[in-house]
Amino acid sequence: MDLPKPTSTAASSAGTETPNPHAFTCELPHSIYALAFSPTAPVLASGSFLEDLHNRVSLLSFDPVRPSAASFRALPALSFDHPYPPTKLQFNPCAAAPSLLASSADTLRIWHAPLDDLSASAAPPELRSVLDNRKASSEFSAPLTSFDWNEVEPRRIGTASIDTTCTVWDIDRGVVETQLIAHDKAVHDIAWGEAGVFASVSADGSVRVFDLRDKEHSTIVYESPRPDTPLLRLAWNRFDLRYMAALLMDSSAVVVLDIRAPGVPVAELHRHRACANAVAWAPQASRHLCSAGDDGQALIWELPETAPAPAPGAPAVPAEGIDPVLVYDAGAEINQLQWAAAHPDWMAIAFENKVQLLRV
Amino acid sequence: MEKPLREGASPGPSWAPTESTAFRVYAAAVGERAEASPSAPGNGVSTRSSNLRAVRKRPFVARLTTDIVQTFEKCNPEFKYSESLNPKRFLTNPAVPVHNDGLDNANSDLILYVNLELVNIKSNRRLVFFSMLFTKYQLLPFRNIRPFTQEFPFHKEIRAMDLCFEMREYLSLSSFWYVIQEMLGQGTFGQVAKCWDAETNNYVAVKVIKNQPAFYQQAIMEVSLLSLLNERFDPDDQHHIVRMLDFFLYQNHLCIAFEMLGHNLYELLKRNSLRGLQMKYVRTFSRQILDALIVMKDAGIIHCDLKPENILIAPTKLEHYKYLLSRNSTINSGQPPDDLLREAKNTGRFFKHVGSIYPGSEARNGTGSAYRILSEDEIEARESKRPKVGRWYFPRGRLDRLIFTYPWKNLSEENLPETEKADCLALVDFLRGLVEFDPNKRWSPVQVGSINRHLQFNNALQPKIPFSYGSSCGSFGSHGSFNDNTGLASSYGSYDFNSANIYNSPMDPSGFNLRSQAGGSFLGSSPDIRRRPHLSHGGGIRLSPGGPGPMSLGASPSQFTPPNSHMQIPGAHGKYGASPSRGALGSSLGKAAAVGQYNRRRNQGYPPMPMPPPHEHTSQLIHGHQGDGVSAARFDAYGRGNSGYLHTTLPSHYSWRPHRGAGSGLPSDPSSSRGSFPPTNYNGFPPLHSDVSADTLPSTSSIPDPADWDPNYSDESLLQEDLSLSVELSGLHLRDSSGQTNRSSRLAPIQSHDITTSNPSASNQRYYSVFLMCSAIPKSLCYRNNTDTKSPLCRGESWSLVCSEQTATFRCKKGFWEDILVLDLEECGMPPN
Repeated sequence: MDLPKPTSTAASSAGTETPNPHAFTCELPHSIYALAFSPTAPVLASGSFLEDLHNRVSLLSFDPVRPSAASFRALPALSFDHPYPPTKLQFNPCAAAPSLLASSADTLRIWHAPLDDLSASAAPPELRSVLDNRKASSEFSAPLTSFDWNEVEPRRIGTASIDTTCTVWDIDRGVVETQLIAHDKAVHDIAWGEAGVFASVSADGSVRVFDLRDKEHSTIVYESPRPDTPLLRLAWNRFDLRYMAALLMDSSAVVVLDIRAPGVPVAELHRHRACANAVAWAPQASRHLCSAGDDGQALIWELPETAPAPAPGAPAVPAEGIDPVLVYDAGAEINQLQWAAAHPDWMAIAFENKVQLLRV
Repeated sequence: MEKPLREGASPGPSWAPTESTAFRVYAAAVGERAEASPSAPGNGVSTRSSNLRAVRKRPFVARLTTDIVQTFEKCNPEFKYSESLNPKRFLTNPAVPVHNDGLDNANSDLILYVNLELVNIKSNRRLVFFSMLFTKYQLLPFRNIRPFTQEFPFHKEIRAMDLCFEMREYLSLSSFWYVIQEMLGQGTFGQVAKCWDAETNNYVAVKVIKNQPAFYQQAIMEVSLLSLLNERFDPDDQHHIVRMLDFFLYQNHLCIAFEMLGHNLYELLKRNSLRGLQMKYVRTFSRQILDALIVMKDAGIIHCDLKPENILIAPTKLEHYKYLLSRNSTINSGQPPDDLLREAKNTGRFFKHVGSIYPGSEARNGTGSAYRILSEDEIEARESKRPKVGRWYFPRGRLDRLIFTYPWKNLSEENLPETEKADCLALVDFLRGLVEFDPNKRWSPVQVGSINRHLQFNNALQPKIPFSYGSSCGSFGSHGSFNDNTGLASSYGSYDFNSANIYNSPMDPSGFNLRSQAGGSFLGSSPDIRRRPHLSHGGGIRLSPGGPGPMSLGASPSQFTPPNSHMQIPGAHGKYGASPSRGALGSSLGKAAAVGQYNRRRNQGYPPMPMPPPHEHTSQLIHGHQGDGVSAARFDAYGRGNSGYLHTTLPSHYSWRPHRGAGSGLPSDPSSSRGSFPPTNYNGFPPLHSDVSADTLPSTSSIPDPADWDPNYSDESLLQEDLSLSVELSGLHLRDSSGQTNRSSRLAPIQSHDITTSNPSASNQRYYSVFLMCSAIPKSLCYRNNTDTKSPLCRGESWSLVCSEQTATFRCKKGFWEDILVLDLEECGMPPN
């Protein structure tokens, strides 16, 4: 594996007590889980994690060109209340479309967030619609663990619910396009691949790929080694749809899958020293991904160049495993990681009550 | 920072960090250093992290996924969500609720959906068990007996089965549940679902039977048969028979849990575009199937639906191809009776099923068979109704052509390798032996299995086999005494096929001896043609691979005993006959018989040894008792009750009539046999047996000597259990000093006889139920006593139940081991008086 030569910048920052000059921190009054980059404005949305009905979504602005600690700040005027802690936040990925922010918790909510005025007098985002698929009989709807906004078809949002279903919404019309019983247990994450293809992970331990053209069937791409070990997170490589990365519950491993070789991960990345909490693919590359976990590390990995043979037992990874190429120590358990296409030089991580922008 | 990426080789766009990255290069040393001081503010952020880590509960990601309901409940105390609100992914089709309080669909299938839990409740039933035990079987003179709550839907037929259930439920106090994952198949009997067994962390296949009496009964039968096969005849899972793991009642549906297996043979063939398999696989498969069939034959069970779909392949087993016989196994009682079959040979080829074979339906009240021969008109009508298309499954009209031209590898007959040709030839001959219409000439599994084995492995033995067969054949013509040594297997085939009586099923050697002797003496010198297949097969195949024609089997008309006439004998005598091979042979006669069995087991010839049938019979009777620890009660019952039985049944063999009821005549031999019932045998039993009429059923499964003919023995003991209700219950019946047990047992043969002829299915069922009941105890005891290992430390040479005023004691004994379970009745809710 090719390791990049250590640069003076990185090496010097590692051992010194001086703050990392390329990491910018913003503290908020509450712990943070959800994070989202806006594709248009230099804005980052963060969702609180409070075990309370009243949670808060804050918008943070930053200066991607001349970053400074002062320029990375919360926008109190643009913060708004949110019922339950948001399990995910995401801006409308289509820059041309109206700037919308979606959040998932008990239901899927769409907020209108223009972001053209970031001044202190700007109006906070307005709730545009609540997309609730609950049955009339039940008082509460099944909590949503995640959702994903379709980049190719921006009117589509797919949600993952603990009621074993994935729901595809048409947010333009505010109706359910389809609802699939995707898994045998709670669905924990969902990711779109193409306009009509999504994948999901579940407590049943499987990664399944669905094609809306054939809703009767799904393809199981991976199953956790011990059945019923829940899979928590899924990231689909936008640049190379062959690759996915998935996280298992209470596991430090990042499982990298090649959908051409179902069942056998192409690589398992084992350098976290505590459970991995978040994973993201590099927005503009096919073989790099970043993962973060309870060990306080954010690790950037580079997969081997040659695509491994899909034969089981013959992975093209070294026997001792793959080492990450880059590492960042946050010093506390990292809960969230976002690496957005709009700002490929920047990565956002969340730990404790802090959001940190990292230059990569 | 530059990254030495090889741009050209990279499949996608490369990525490299910017010059001013917040990250640093990863190195193992760096990682260790960081580990040593995890809170080091290397990047200048938090200093509180170590404190936070101590109080940290779970990562947010887990609290917002797996634990999201709890998290939301903390957020909003009123929030609640239950998995029962999840939409159900129905597996059953149709999924419209109709019957059984909305649990069943119109077909009485339980409506299955993913994550439905099939629960085997085994707790809280102790009182039921005990009250039932005590009320029904009068174990203890309790005054305040709780009424037995009948919770089974079809109570009249399955009383013994209830006991089974109750026993098991009592003795294994935990409950198991099986979480449905996916549907494996739907059939007339019900559904099969792939389930997750949390107890064992394994997938199992659970068969959910329809909630209808007929299917229920059929499934009970399957349970009985499978546990018989699994536990008694194949305890080490060596004979390619599917393992039954559990059975229970769920929402009025009987559920049977099996080990999870792979594709069936038909699917395998289909994946091969139905082009067949290479001969070596055919041979491997055949051998394993035959192996299983031999075991089933020993158990007296006919697989009535042997077809590729019912042969599952176990992908993970060592032997690579594991087979099972699962569905639609039935005892011979479901077959058309032999007299019909015999007639059919002359009159037509088809049978019509004129009634349900399921016990519990109208056929039960009939006089015997649910089959009758079609008249010629009916056959014609049927033929004409049948469309012409599709009747020719194979393009070749002849068996040998079919096999030689089967396109397993796109090879035509010309360029088949010689070895393959020889194998084809062998297969042709093999199949001819199997498809012989005359059941007397048709090969039995043992026969076939031996041939198959010899063909495969023992080339050196081949000259011997035909030779010994021949010799036996030659000497046999006048006297049938020992044809069973060699030809027993062949007798088997016809026997089983025709038998309509369960008492036939234990194909014990003594029965065969007797019959063949009878046959020999009555038929005079009619040569047993069934030797011929052996001859031609064992020697001929390899020697002349070119010509399959002359190998045709069954060319000579074999005048064999109509098997029906022997029906009672093997069953009755089998009880005694099987055991001599286990040792303790007192007389040369018995030894001869034993050797005969031994030889048969190995498929070797045995020098003919003329021997008068009655004597041999007698000797076997004696030795049967000596050789085995048959329980005192049973022996006693037989000693007294059976004498009459022998009187009536033996003559029927000699008179050559298909005689089922009581017969008369020729009392001499039976009486001698009765006279030879030595009370010393009785006394020779271990005290445990005499103390309690314990059943040896569950114990005999592990016999060290492979030459033993143990399965028969167990069958015999089973048979006895069936003979009457009182005997059936003997396993739980405390025998008092007055000897009432004996008295009641005396009636056994007659009763059972009637039952058998009039209603074989019912008796079969009870018969096996009792077996189950008895077998359930020692095993469970073992599990209880060895909860750590779950290993059946003691399979139980015998078990007993002794009740006093305060306690009930189960004892399970094998060799030096004895497991004792003492139950406090008061604690169990059964206070004395």
